[in-house]
Amino acid sequence: MYPENNQQNNPGTCDDSCGVLPECAPLAVPYVPFQQNNPKRYTQQEALANGTLFPGLNLPFQIKAEAVKVLGTQMAELQALEFMLLELGLYLDTHQDDQEAFALFRKYSNLEAEARKAYEAKHGPLTQSAAANAESWAAWLDGPWPWQHDTEGGAK
Amino acid sequence: MFQYEKKLQYPVRIKTPNPKLAAWVISQYGGPDGELGASLRYLSQRYAMPYPELKGLLTDIGTEELGHLEMIGAIVHQLTRGLTQEQLREGGFAPYFVDHTTGIYPTAASGAPWNAAGIGVKGDVIADLTEDMAAEQKARVTYDNILRLSDDPDVSDVIRFLREREIVHFQRFGEAVRLAKEKMDQKNVYFTNPAFDGVKR
Repeated sequence: MYPENNQQNNPGTCDDSCGVLPECAPLAVPYVPFQQNNPKRYTQQEALANGTLFPGLNLPFQIKAEAVKVLGTQMAELQALEFMLLELGLYLDTHQDDQEAFALFRKYSNLEAEARKAYEAKHGPLTQSAAANAESWAAWLDGPWPWQHDTEGGAK
Repeated sequence: MFQYEKKLQYPVRIKTPNPKLAAWVISQYGGPDGELGASLRYLSQRYAMPYPELKGLLTDIGTEELGHLEMIGAIVHQLTRGLTQEQLREGGFAPYFVDHTTGIYPTAASGAPWNAAGIGVKGDVIADLTEDMAAEQKARVTYDNILRLSDDPDVSDVIRFLREREIVHFQRFGEAVRLAKEKMDQKNVYFTNPAFDGVKR
C-alpha cells in the first residue's frame, strides 16, 4: 500500500497522521503542525482515487472512502501521474529540504512525459503546441473536449 | 501565463442526468465558497506575498483551483444534458433554466450570482493566509453538504476527491503561515507587514 518508502525509517518523531509543533510558540497566531519529512505515500492510482498522495492527510467524510474504482483508461493513467506531480509540488512548496520528495518529483516528471507522449500519439494533442505534430488543426478542435460525456468525459 | 491542457484533473463521467443535483452542485462553481472564488483569491493574493514559498504555493494552489472549476462545470454540464420537459419542471432546476438554459453560469445554489465580496485580498501575510485556511474549511463543508444531498455515486466520487483536496490545501496553507512566521519578527510578527513595509533581509 505504501510503496518505496514504507521500509525506511521515517525521520519524523510523530505518528504519520500527526505533525510537529514547537514546544513554546508565540501567542495570537494560528498553528498547524508541519507534515513531517518523508511521509507515507500511496501508489499513484491510490493517490488519485483518494484525492491525496498522503495517507496521513486522508480524512474522508462519514462514509469511509471505499476503494474507489479507478478507471483503467490511458487518460486515467496520465491523470494519476500528473496528480503525483501536483501533490508532490504542493508538498515541496513547504518542504524544500525533503530531497527524497524532490527525487520522486523528478522521477514522476519523466514518467509523465513518456505517458503524455504515448497518449497524444494515440488520441491526439492535449495542448496547442502538441498539435504541431498532427496532420491538421482539426486534431486540436475535434472532440471530445474534457467536459463532454458521450466519449467518457474526454478520456479515450 | 496560462496554457490550456485538454483534460480534467480527475475523471468526470456522470451516467444519469439529474437537474436537481446540478442546481446544488453549481454552488461550487460560483457560490460564496466555490472554485471560482478560490482560484481568484489565491491568484490575486500572490502579488503582495513577500516570500518565494508563498508566491509558489498561492500560484500552485490557485492553478489547481482553476482545474477544479472546470471539473464542477463538467459535472453540471453532464447532469443537465438531454433533459425532458418533465425534468425541467421538477426538482427546482427551473429558475436556473429560465435564466441560463443549460449554460454554465457562476452562481450560488441559493441564486446569488458570483460576487467578489466573497473573497478577501488584504495585502497582509498573516491575514491573507488565515483567510485561505478559513476558505478551505468553508469549501470543505460545502462539499460535505453536497455529499449529504447527493444520491448519485458518479457525482459523489468526484465530490469526495475535491473535498479531500481542500484538506490538503488547508494543511499547506497552515505550513505556509509557519514558514512566513519564521521569516518575520520573532518577538512580534505583527510589528510590520512585510507585504507592505518591505522584507527584512
